[in-house]
Amino acid sequence: MIWMEMDTWIVLVGVTCAIACALPGCFLVLRKMSMMGDAISHAVLPGLALAFLITGSRSSLPMFIGAAVVGLLTAVFTQWVSQFGNVDRGAAMGIVFTILFALGLILIVQSAEKVDLDASCVLLGNIEWTPQDLMNIGPLEIPRALVVLASVMLLNLLVILFFFKELRIAAFDPELATTTGFNAQVMHYLLMIMVAVTTVASFEAVGSIIVIAMLVVPPCCAWMMTDRLGVMLFLSAVFGALSAVLGHMAAIVVPPWFGFDDSASTSGMMATVAGLLFMMVWIFDPRRGLLGKKVGKYILNRSA
Amino acid sequence: MKNMMMLLLFGLLSLTGKAEEGEKMKVAVTVGMIGDVVANVAGDAAEVVTIIGSDVDPHLYRPTRNDVLKFQQADVIFYNGMMLEGKMGDVLMRMSRRGKPVYPVTEELQEAGGYVLNTDSDHLDPHVWMDVKGWMAAVDVVEKGLSKQDPSRKALFAKNAAAYGEQLKELDAYAGKVLATIPETQRVLVTAHDAFSYMGRAYGLRVKGIQGLSTESEAGVRDIEDLVNFLVEYNIPAVFVESSVADKNVRALVEGAKAKGHQVIIGGELFSDAMGKPGTYEGTYIGMIDHNATLIARALGGEAPAGGMQNKLMDVEKY
Repeated sequence: MIWMEMDTWIVLVGVTCAIACALPGCFLVLRKMSMMGDAISHAVLPGLALAFLITGSRSSLPMFIGAAVVGLLTAVFTQWVSQFGNVDRGAAMGIVFTILFALGLILIVQSAEKVDLDASCVLLGNIEWTPQDLMNIGPLEIPRALVVLASVMLLNLLVILFFFKELRIAAFDPELATTTGFNAQVMHYLLMIMVAVTTVASFEAVGSIIVIAMLVVPPCCAWMMTDRLGVMLFLSAVFGALSAVLGHMAAIVVPPWFGFDDSASTSGMMATVAGLLFMMVWIFDPRRGLLGKKVGKYILNRSA
Repeated sequence: MKNMMMLLLFGLLSLTGKAEEGEKMKVAVTVGMIGDVVANVAGDAAEVVTIIGSDVDPHLYRPTRNDVLKFQQADVIFYNGMMLEGKMGDVLMRMSRRGKPVYPVTEELQEAGGYVLNTDSDHLDPHVWMDVKGWMAAVDVVEKGLSKQDPSRKALFAKNAAAYGEQLKELDAYAGKVLATIPETQRVLVTAHDAFSYMGRAYGLRVKGIQGLSTESEAGVRDIEDLVNFLVEYNIPAVFVESSVADKNVRALVEGAKAKGHQVIIGGELFSDAMGKPGTYEGTYIGMIDHNATLIARALGGEAPAGGMQNKLMDVEKY
């Protein structure tokens, strides 16, 4: 394997994106809203269509704003549907994103049929490209995606640190939260804003599959290993970062094993590695793992 | 593993993207049609890497790390432009702003205006290579780009470009000749997606694509029904599938026409956004256009030799 400067940047972008997503992802998983990222990735379509209709161009900024606005609306509508319609949050997401996606398709067919407005064409970035799009920060030239994702990551980290107690109570016991004097709804909307901004910014920077995977899989790995929210957040960041590093290496190293001389998709491999890590935790975790539990019992019996 | 970690840590400092100095100029191109032009103009003076292979749809192609590396290591990059390569075009433009010689081969046509077909206010039809005269402009852009990169070989490039231009003129004449043999009422080309407008304009065919310009948009039931009625009304004998686009919509047309008692056949597989397999005659630009023109002429009731312009075509009839 030949390692280039480019690869270091790709891995850094991947790690930053994975951590930025894994942090709010923990709360999504705890609140049984894991597929929010997937929902938003489909729901942005009407945002793209409207942005095109209003500005008449497909350049990045209007597309991004359109997507971000509709991403936020997805989160808000989901909350309304589950609250007032009294349906489960997963079902509420299903209702909202399919309707928004359908609306987007109708808008495109009605008004912009001759233009390619698909998200993969106008919104989604590609992590492999990020080292080619540099910007100057002081004396350094840094990939724009890294700057964007690092800001999002820091923002998420600050919000979580600052509202840690509130977010925790709201996630586990919303009634208690409301009785203790702050509105759990407000915390929920804060979380949803965080998720919407994170996903849309990451979609634009690195594409959709990494984001959807990193919102869910690292938090799930972490949750298997601990019941403490703080530890879970930390572990999910570690698992996310690990998936990113190993994923990019695997994308370079694995295809030649099977006789292909090309590299595989980095984002696909990051998601795959995250899945493998989850399997390892599921099997080997000392407390809840398939094998770990047995080994633990065995040791316990021996020492008894 | 330890090695990897070291590289990871010091990759930033030690290894940069520069390839070792070779005598041959390294040229990276997005699609095969451009690669073929570069290979013909540069001859032995350049090593050409084509990123998007045969049978692949360039609208949807997602580059991997090695593809990016190939672009980075190239001395010159040529791509089509007009959004054929989707977001990849933007990135290549960004690389050019950072000093890499990057040329969209359709740029002269775009600047000259007039030639380029618009489907909508800002949206340009990128499938210029379908008209051989249009693609001659690409030869000029390639020649200029290569000469600028390696002025010492300027005369060679000019000679090669002129020779290749002659071949293209021949191809253009052949395509015009065989397509003109199609009975006038049947000069209608129905294909999977809107890639053939330039060909239609250049050689007098009416063109109808089932899908829109991009291969991502889905065809609606109404579109299919309208096209079926059109086929029946004008008694069109054949429709065509494309090598880089799924053929389910074209099959729906054939079934639909059958239900109305009109026999339409699938005339064969056209090369639209990608050429044939490398190493074959259809894997060259001339072979690709020869294949398309010969196939269309024969399926729509015109006359063309089964072997095509140079009697090099394999199994045109088989699909």
